[in-house]
Amino acid sequence: MDNRPIIKVRNLYKIYRVGTNKVYALNGVSFDIYKGEFVAIVGTSGSGKSTLLNMLAGLEPPTKGEITIGSKRVDKMNEKQLVAFRRDNVGFIFQSYNLLNTMNGLENVAMPLMFKGVSRSVREKKAAKYLELMGVADQARHMPNQMSGGQQQRIGIARAMVVDPKIIFADEPTGNLDSKTTMDVLRLMQRVVREQGKTLVMVTHDNTIAAYADKRIRIVDGKIVSIEYGERGTEIEGAETEKEELELSLGLSEGTEA
Amino acid sequence: MKFSDLLRLSINNLKRRKLRTFLTVLGVIIGTASIVVMVSLGIGQAELQTESIESYASLTTIDVWQGGMFGDGSSEEQKYITDEVLESFEHIPHVTGTSPVLRTNVIAKQGVYEANLQLMGVSREYLEQIDVGEGSIPLDEKNLEFLYGNSVIRDFSNSKTGEGYYTNYEDPDVDLMGKPVFIIFDTSAYYQSQAPQSQDMSQDSGQPKVKPPKKYIVPTAGLVKGSPDDWGQYSYSTYCNVEALKSKLKSIYRKEPIPGQPTDKKGKALNYFVYDNAAVYVDDMDNVKSVQDAIAAMGYQANSNMEWVEQNKKTMQIQQAVLGGIGAVSLLVAAIGIANTMMMSIYERTKEIGVMKVLGCDMGNIRDMFLIESGCIGLMGGTAGIGISYGVSFIINKLYIRNQMMNGYIMPGMDGPGNISRIPLWLILTALVFAVIIGMLAGFFPSRRAMKLSPLSAIRNE
Repeated sequence: MDNRPIIKVRNLYKIYRVGTNKVYALNGVSFDIYKGEFVAIVGTSGSGKSTLLNMLAGLEPPTKGEITIGSKRVDKMNEKQLVAFRRDNVGFIFQSYNLLNTMNGLENVAMPLMFKGVSRSVREKKAAKYLELMGVADQARHMPNQMSGGQQQRIGIARAMVVDPKIIFADEPTGNLDSKTTMDVLRLMQRVVREQGKTLVMVTHDNTIAAYADKRIRIVDGKIVSIEYGERGTEIEGAETEKEELELSLGLSEGTEA
Repeated sequence: MKFSDLLRLSINNLKRRKLRTFLTVLGVIIGTASIVVMVSLGIGQAELQTESIESYASLTTIDVWQGGMFGDGSSEEQKYITDEVLESFEHIPHVTGTSPVLRTNVIAKQGVYEANLQLMGVSREYLEQIDVGEGSIPLDEKNLEFLYGNSVIRDFSNSKTGEGYYTNYEDPDVDLMGKPVFIIFDTSAYYQSQAPQSQDMSQDSGQPKVKPPKKYIVPTAGLVKGSPDDWGQYSYSTYCNVEALKSKLKSIYRKEPIPGQPTDKKGKALNYFVYDNAAVYVDDMDNVKSVQDAIAAMGYQANSNMEWVEQNKKTMQIQQAVLGGIGAVSLLVAAIGIANTMMMSIYERTKEIGVMKVLGCDMGNIRDMFLIESGCIGLMGGTAGIGISYGVSFIINKLYIRNQMMNGYIMPGMDGPGNISRIPLWLILTALVFAVIIGMLAGFFPSRRAMKLSPLSAIRNE
């Protein structure tokens, strides 16, 4: 593992004003993420975990604090630079897949390369390779509305990887999937980190899913409460040590999500 | 992002909502067609008028009349048109030629038929403007030859019965080409010699009998093109070469003053000819005005049909602007339709635009994508609109010609007055470019809005 962190976050604040009240979505967050790590940001709804991810990806400006990715200060970039930064360095996996309905599987995967100005034949060849890797080569010519959720998310992962990004962000990537498909997708993401050497930052409210990560950053009310390390590929049955915490957070999340 | 990719994305988006795209395009079709048809009517009307003027008069000819006559009369001397003056006209830029017009009345006889003809002695340049039907133009400068107008035959009447075309509406039995025509130049002597024969003209009875003037056989060079029914600028006169006419008149009158020519203070004939008027030919319609002004500045009266055409043009331009304006209103409505469609489309695709921004699509590319979409709507509408306007124009022309026939302005089989709706190439191109520009303008603000949409909207889960 590299000694220098690929993502460095220092004293990050995000403050929303609601009327005259200040709401601290993020209240002084600092952490490091290293190359090749599979990190889960875990927290309940409203804990500020999604806000944190958005700021890491440069979709939302922080109120205060530093975000350094590689050697670049994301918090100092303007919108145009951010778009270019995302295009070249970041892959994104969405909860609701967000495939474009007018394009087939192959075109969807090739889309980020299109934004880079890669010619059609080159980008579709590359896209086909990633579809193969994700095991959805048979969906290349299908439109998104002809695919299952799992197939769509595999396409989504292929799309995130096609630009060969340094970092992949995933926002509740299994949120819309059934449990069996969830396992498939999680294993796939583990494989991506292990075999492709990517850094993956995933946001989830579900401890079971977070258990698949190498490192879990737990957030409550905009503050980091703990950073835990676990074995790669931890199976749910084997996660004895985390059982208590798991039950605790499940109870919490059920209370707020419902 | 490559332009071809942008184009493909835009077209795919238009295809996605076919009915909506079609309805928006329909608005542009109607807008474009109404502009094109309206302007084509304006153009058609203006051109028809110019053509009708052109059909009976040359537009590059300036008529010059002697000046001074209508001045304040005190200091200005009589400005006669002489060979010298014509020579000076030739030096005005853009003048290609001049012709004097020497008018004289002669009596023509063939058998019992007799006619009083207006004879015009003109130069080669003048004669070359005339469309000759039979024969050729009289170019011989020594021997007099006549070119008869196509309707001149109707001037002949039977000298015994007094019957002619204007009493019995039958063309007299005169063959100007085939049989010899006798010409009497000294008409006053002829009438004086005829007068005593009619007893009721009492005032002539005291005068001595005048010897009838000499008759000359003047060969016919040709006839102006057309039947006696056709009306044209050259239909009613008889033309001959001015040099031949001058020498003929000199030989007839010798030292006597020629009728119609001015005399000096002692009543003697001048040693040069003074022309009634002259024609000045200009190389192009556009230069007529400047030449005309130059001639007027020299103290002569100059008239041309261009004045009429110019006046006409101004009126027509106003009319065209009004017609085009009416058409433009419907295109404006179509533009609002495009803007509305684009706004709807952006609302629908908020999430999609967000995803594209998250995945690194440049803001400029997103704007361009929407601009291309609205430009495509303009292009499709413009193209189809031009097609429709050709159809509408065709129908209008058919109806117009039928209407003209029913009203008896033209006969079946005759050359019609031409189309009232005309679509020149420049109108097509202008309309097309205009439609695309209108489309893109209408899409401009919606596209900026799309560009500024937050990528966060893509992350929000519904």
